[in-house]
Parts: sequence; C-alpha cells; structure tokens
Amino acid sequence: MARINPGFTKALKRFGAFDVNACYNCGNCTAVCSLSDENNSFPRKMVRLSVLGLEGELKNSLEPWLCYYCGECSTTCPRQAEPGELMMSLRRWLTAQYDWTGLSGLFYRSLTAVITAFILLATGVLWFASAQNFNPDRLLHTGHYFEMLAIAGVFVFILLPNIIRMWMLTVYSRHEKIPVKKYFKTFGELFVHMFTQKRTLGCDKSKTRWTEHLILVFSYLSLLFTTVFLDWFGTNSKSIIALGYIESAAIFIVTILFIVARMKKSTEVSKHSHPSDWMFVVWLSLLGATAFVVRLFIDLDMLENNIWIYIVHLIILVQWALIIVPFGKWTHFLYRSFAMWFLKVAE
Amino acid sequence: MKQDQSKKSDNIQQAKTSVSPVREDSKVAYKKRIGVYVCHCGGNISDYVDVEKVRQVVENEEGVFLAKTTMFACADSNQKEMVEDIVTQKLDGVVVASCSPKLHLLTFRAVTERAGLNKYNYVHANIREQVSWAHSDNKQGATEKAIRIVRSAIAKVRRSQALEPIKVEAVRTVAVIGAGVAGMKAAVKLAKSGVLVYLIEREFFVGGRVAQWDNLCISDETGKELITRLYDDILSHKNITLFTGAEVVEKSGSIGNFSLKVKITPRYIRMQCNKGELQKAIDVCPVEVPDKFNFNITKRKAIYHNYPGEYPQLPAIDIENCTRCGECEKVCSSIDFNQKPEYLDIRAGSILLATGFDPYEPKKGEFGYGEIDNVVTLPQFKRIVHYCNGDKLQFKGRNIHNIAYIYCVGSRQVNGENKYCSRYCCTSNIYTAIDAKKRFKDINNFHFNRGIRTYGKQEILYDESSRLGDIYLQSFEDNPPEVKVVDGKTVVSINDILTQDKKLEVEADLVVLVTGMVPRKDNSIGNLLKVPRGRDKFFNEIHMKLRPVETVIDGITIAGAGQGPKNIVESMTSALAAATKSFTIVASGELALEPTIAKVSKDDCEWCGKCDDACPYDAFTPKEIDGKTVAVVNKSVCKGCGMCLPVCPSNAIQLTGLSDDEVESMIDALMEN
Repeated sequence: MARINPGFTKALKRFGAFDVNACYNCGNCTAVCSLSDENNSFPRKMVRLSVLGLEGELKNSLEPWLCYYCGECSTTCPRQAEPGELMMSLRRWLTAQYDWTGLSGLFYRSLTAVITAFILLATGVLWFASAQNFNPDRLLHTGHYFEMLAIAGVFVFILLPNIIRMWMLTVYSRHEKIPVKKYFKTFGELFVHMFTQKRTLGCDKSKTRWTEHLILVFSYLSLLFTTVFLDWFGTNSKSIIALGYIESAAIFIVTILFIVARMKKSTEVSKHSHPSDWMFVVWLSLLGATAFVVRLFIDLDMLENNIWIYIVHLIILVQWALIIVPFGKWTHFLYRSFAMWFLKVAE
Repeated sequence: MKQDQSKKSDNIQQAKTSVSPVREDSKVAYKKRIGVYVCHCGGNISDYVDVEKVRQVVENEEGVFLAKTTMFACADSNQKEMVEDIVTQKLDGVVVASCSPKLHLLTFRAVTERAGLNKYNYVHANIREQVSWAHSDNKQGATEKAIRIVRSAIAKVRRSQALEPIKVEAVRTVAVIGAGVAGMKAAVKLAKSGVLVYLIEREFFVGGRVAQWDNLCISDETGKELITRLYDDILSHKNITLFTGAEVVEKSGSIGNFSLKVKITPRYIRMQCNKGELQKAIDVCPVEVPDKFNFNITKRKAIYHNYPGEYPQLPAIDIENCTRCGECEKVCSSIDFNQKPEYLDIRAGSILLATGFDPYEPKKGEFGYGEIDNVVTLPQFKRIVHYCNGDKLQFKGRNIHNIAYIYCVGSRQVNGENKYCSRYCCTSNIYTAIDAKKRFKDINNFHFNRGIRTYGKQEILYDESSRLGDIYLQSFEDNPPEVKVVDGKTVVSINDILTQDKKLEVEADLVVLVTGMVPRKDNSIGNLLKVPRGRDKFFNEIHMKLRPVETVIDGITIAGAGQGPKNIVESMTSALAAATKSFTIVASGELALEPTIAKVSKDDCEWCGKCDDACPYDAFTPKEIDGKTVAVVNKSVCKGCGMCLPVCPSNAIQLTGLSDDEVESMIDALMEN
C-alpha cells in the first residue's frame, strides 16, 4: 500500500520537470521509446510514479538511468508533458537522493548556492595564489598535486559512498540475496558502458551524438591521465605534449558543438537546459581551452609573465573537480554505467 | 423442361378463373384498369426471377390493363412513365412488384398521388427480399413464387378503395408538465409559436433541478440565473398559464383533445401579501427541517422559499411539517390556513412531459455512505462548496484538504440496475473540483474513476483539472475503490490500473460519491398517462434516432432528463424538439390520421368487451346506440393493428384497407394452383 503525495511534482519541478500532471496516461511515450522494454518500462511508468509522488518507488528505480534522452517521447507526447525532460529531472533528483552530503540536491535546486560555491572556490584559489606570491613553479606544482588529491578524495569520500547508496536502493533493498559471483560475472558491463556508451546507439537514428560523446569521454579521461600521470604541464616529451594538445582541443571543440546546440535548441535533448547542463558544458569547454592555452604559453615561454592564465585554469579546475564532478552532471556518466551493471546483476 | 413450365402456367391460368368468381358477388366495384410494373432491380431480382415471365402471366389476370417490366421501378424516368400511364390510360389501380415496402411503399404511393389517383389504390408486392434474395438457389421456384405474390397484390388492388385521412379536431393548447429548464423552454417556444400553454409544476417553485445548481460549466452562469431568464420569458408571454403546487390527477381523451384534471395544492399564503410581514413569519417559525433543496446539507423553516429571489416569489407553507403553532399568523396577516386544494379541468391537444430526474441516492454503506460522516454525494458536495465562505473549505466544522471523488456511483452498473452512463456527472464533478481548488487553500483532488467522460467541449475541464495537479486513479467495475476508517481517518484505496494495479491509498478529509441520474421515484404521472418506460425506467421514445421525442401514446411528447440522463444543453435541445412536435400536432386545429383503422358493424356487434381487452391502445368504448350497446372505436387512438379482429365472436370488426374480403382474396390468389 502506498500513500499518494501530490506535492511531489512541485518539488520535482525544481529539478527541471515540466507539466507532468498534464499526462493522461496514453502511453505514447513508452510505445515510441526504443530503449524501453518489458522488464524496464519507461517513461510512462516513471511519469505516473512522479505524478503520484511515490518517492520510495522512484528511488528504487534504475529506469531513469536507462534513458539516453533521444527525445522522441517528448515530440510525440499529445499533452506536451515533456516525458523526456521528466526522465532528465529524475536523474538529477536521483543524484540528489544518492548523495549523502545533500549538496547535490542543494546545487540542483538553488542556482544561488552554486554561484556562491563557485565564488568561494575562486576566492580560495586567488588567496592561495597570492599567498604563494604568484610563483609559477609553485602554483603549477600545487595544481598537479591538487589534481591527484582531488581525484582520490572525491572518489573515496563522495562518489564511492554514493554509489554504495545507489546500490542499496536499487539492488540490495529490492532483490533477494544475489551471489557475489554474479557481480564478478557481470562486472564487464560497467566498463563496456562507461567507455563505449553503446546504449546511445539504440536511441538515436544518427551516430553523431554517440560519436561526439565517445570523443569527449576518451579525450577527457586521457587528458586527465596525461596531466596527472604524464605531467603534461611539466614534461618535455614531444609526443606527450602533442597528445595533450589533441585531447584538450578535442574537448574544446566537442563541448563548443554542444553549447551551440543548446543555444540553438536544435535537438530535443538540447531544447531544455537546466543551469547544471550549462555549467557542465561551459566548464568542460573552458577546462579544455585553458589547459590548451596554458601549455601553449609554456611552450612559447610566456607563462612566467602571464601566470594569470594558469590561475584562471586552476580556478576552473577546482570548481570542476569539487562541484561539478562530485555533485553535478558529471556523476550521471558514472551512475549510468553502474545502472547497467546493477541491471545485469539483478536480472 | 420448357413444356413443364408452360403446363404449369396453364394450370395457374385455369385455377385463377375458377377462384375469382367466388368473390365476385361482393358489392365492391372491382378495378378494371390495373397497371402492373415488375422491377428488375438492376439484377437483384431479374438474376433469379424470370421477370418477363412474371409479366406475361400477370398480364392476363382479371382487371389488369397493362403490365410492364422495368430496370429500376424507383428511377425517376420510370416514376414519370407511371404517372403518364395512370393519366393517359386512366388506370384505377397500381401494383409495383419490387423490393420491400419498407423501402419504397411511400415512393409509389406518392407516384399515384401525383397522377391524381388515391394512394390507397396502390399495392406493393415484395419480390426481392421475399423472393429473389431468399430463393437464389432455385430460379424456377422463385419465379413461381413471384407470380403468386404479384397475383395476390393484384387481387388486393382490385378490391381496394380510395380512402381519405380521418380528420379530428385538435385543441390549440399544449399542456407542459414540469417547469424545470426543459418544460420552461418548451413552454416559451410553444407560446412564441402562438399556441396556448398550460405549464404545470408540482413543486411550489419553478426551476426543477437546475435551480439547485449555482455555477455551471462552461459559461460560469448559475442555474438560478438561467431559471430567472426563462421565468422572465414566461412572464412576457400572455398565452402561458403557469400552475405551481399543481399535479395532474386525472386524464382522459386522446391526441388532439386531452382532458386533464389538475389539483392545485394551496400555499396557505394569500397572493396579495406584505413581503416584510412574510419575512417576519419565516423568522418566527420554530419548525426546522432538513432542506431537501440543498440535499439536506442545510435546514429550512416550515414556511419557506428555497433561495432568495426564487420564482414565484411568494413563499409556501410546508403543511406536512407545519405544527400549526400559529406564530406566523401573529406577525403576518397574509397567512391563511383556510385555503383548500382546488381542482381545475383543462383541455389540451398535446401533452409535453418534462418531469426530470432524481439524483441517485446511494444505499446505506455504499462506499461508506450513511455510515462514515464525511462521505457525501455530488449534489451535496456542490452545495457544500457553494455555501462555504472564506479561504478554507470546511465541512462539519473540519477543514478539508484531501478530497476523494468516487465516480460512477449508481451508474454504469454492469450487474446492477442502472447500466447507463449518467452523462453529466464527470463534467459536473470535475468542474466543481476545480472550483473548490481555485477558491480554497490547499485542496488536493483525487479522482477515483472508471474512465473520465467529459465528452465534447467539456474536455477542457479535464485538461484544466489535470494541469492543476488533480490526480486520476482508475479501476474497473469489478474492482472498485474501498472506503474505510483507519484510526479515525477515512482512507480510500484502489488497485490503480494506471500504475500496474498497484494498491494506492489516500487519506481523505471528504469523500464525494459522484452520483448519477435515476428516473423520478414517483412515476404517478407516467402511470396516469400510460407513457411506457424503457429498461432503464426512464420514459421511452418511439425511436431513439428517428422519432426521439414522441411516445407510443399519440399526442404525448417527452423532453429533458425524464427521458434519460441529459445535461442542460441536451435538455434544451430535446425541449425544443418536443415543443416543435407538440406544436405540429395542435397547430392547424385539425389532425389528419391514418384511415386504416378498425370499423365496427353496429348490426353485428353484441358488446362483449373482448375487443376492449385485446386492444393495446384503449381504443374501444361501449356505447348505447339505438337501444343496443355496441363497441365504438376512438378513431384518434386506434392504430389499425388488428388485435381486435380475431377475438370478436360475431366478426363485427373489419380493418379498413385490410378487410376480410381483401385478405381472403389475397390468400386465395397465393394458394391458386
């Protein structure tokens, strides 16, 4: 027996949902969805659970992560209830539910909170830089260590506990005891989906979006590797330097394409942009651009006199690593992959 | 083969000549110039029936002057030819052998009339449905059968007579029973058309059910405003006489001339009254009874009007609940307990019945009704919302936030009596739910439905309500929602088919049973007028589509929700239709009725009453003529069904147009060998 909570849609609207209540349960959205299947039916079921405000059911659902937002449901919805955007909002909402710190929910709901956090971090970086007398070597050195620490810290203290919470909600509480063997057997799913995002292919007619995403994921992860482990800003190896240039340029170009699409609202997926969507693409784009320019300045021996460019890069990096990665849209990438694994585990 | 056929036709010829003379002794002047047309119907008939052979055989029948075949008898060109034949050849009788008379009897009757021949000198022979289609496997047999059928038609037309419609006087007055929206609208329409109208209302006030509603969808006008406008219209027409507190208690007569006895219950208040004193009288009345007008949500005095500004504006005393304490008489000189019921005799050419509906009253315990104190019906809910002021909806002193609506209560009962959909309730309920949500704070609406039917333009209400966040939960008839009290709270639960049959529940501050329409519990007027009711117990029309406002009782029309669930728009439409139908009955002051009815021979009749027993229309009355009691047929009531004929022991009854002579001659013709 479940109690209905009509107030939930109001709360959900703060995560970006539209007129979900307009839904009259025709099921067109589910019928046209190329990813929905018998065992994991969406978006209608998710719309219904949202309208009824059955939060418990929603928290236990993996369906929002199975949607890759082709937008067909929204274009065919006869009531303009925007089921595609509802699925997107549910992903944001779920991110907030998984996050033990509660910051995720706060940042999704309140733009003021995000901006405040951004300003605080920028101020912190500036304070630190001035404390170091704007010494380029020291700053570059610290930046490098910060990257390593941030990756480890965010993963251990935020992402890992959140993924465990996700597992508790979607697998542990819903299913009979699953043998550990099965986790190992299906472990490959996690990596296949994390690195290939192949599910997107079942969704769009053209391969453009998938290709763009693939390039972005590989460029991002390899740039991370190049800067952290190959010390891109410090190395003299020509091949590593070239690799970094390619990676950062690719990130910049792909994200610029995304930004243009969002501005033009050219596709269903780019029609509705929540602040968190803008932040994700813009910061990633800036990250690629500033990294590229920093290395360029190093190669042209201009960094000594233009340390400000590194400070800008550092500010972007810190904001990215401490806000967007642990609490923002970046986690979707992670949860999606885990959802595919959990799905296989629970099968 | 050929030989056989010709032999047979020879036989037929012989047989004919041997039979016909038997009936020649009748006094009727038999027709001598009959025209027979045998139709191919494209190939529908001629593919199986040897049409030419039929023509050849019947051409030689006694009295037949010409016999033709035609590709399509109903075609314009053939009709013109027939007219020309009748005129130039001076035909005195016509037979067309073609399809079913249901299709073209009237067509060819019209042809004869155009040619100046009385239409009863036309006889139709069906050789398509009854012959070619039925015997497509046996062409020879089909041809023989066709010959017999055409021959029997010829036998009938030889004996046919020119008949004229029966004319009866029609009183140019219509009695409209029921002064709700339908009755009032019909009365105004009739009065505008120029006939006298008696508008008879059993209650002391006009407006019926619509007066009980306030805001109405979609115009947001109130029911009371509609009634006021109709009442103003009624007042502006001198040829409408309105009776309130009036009931028809006796009826006699028939179409064109009904006599009604109307009982007028007194209001116990004089017409010329002092309004200020009357208000005092209401104030001092110590009696308080549940106000039926407000579905018992409020109370009223024994001297009352239902709402301020109600029509007629003179209050009335509810004598059943009045204790005769005399308090009102002390303050008001207009009170008069000596008033007595009056009886009026009125005559009307037609009766228009618009007696409306009753809201369904749930059984005790049906979804907790009558047992759980916050379970109410839709009409009650509408009154609660109307009477609530301020920004909080309250009922019995408690604040209402969560409202659960249970739909189709008393309607669409698959296994129950009321199988119909009441049509108005979805719309009315959603409209009121929206109204409540907009006017009061923190209202959550939960609609437990079986499929929403806000059909037509009312769909915008459903749209608005769902966009306002109303929640719709759905189940099937066999698994209805449950209303229970859990820890002092009323909880409504449902297995929602829109959420994979998941059991969902709502804690409701108010449960509204969305009740539909049922026929009036008191059917005294229906019984009195003998208006038949359908399986659903609402008054029945003759034909839903083709004769939607007429009843089998000639001269009585029906309008409004007494005929079946209708919303106001539909009631208005049916009222205008019924008014028009009633108007056509009385308009010319004279009625032309079918002459093909029963005729009693005074000489042969020895009144035994068997015809009266057999007659479904009460057309027979005994009457003393020349010292002898005989049956007399009421020409305006008899429908010529023939039920009386076989029961008459002295064979005194004949059916005009289907006399024994005619029918026997037809049978003989069919039997000829």
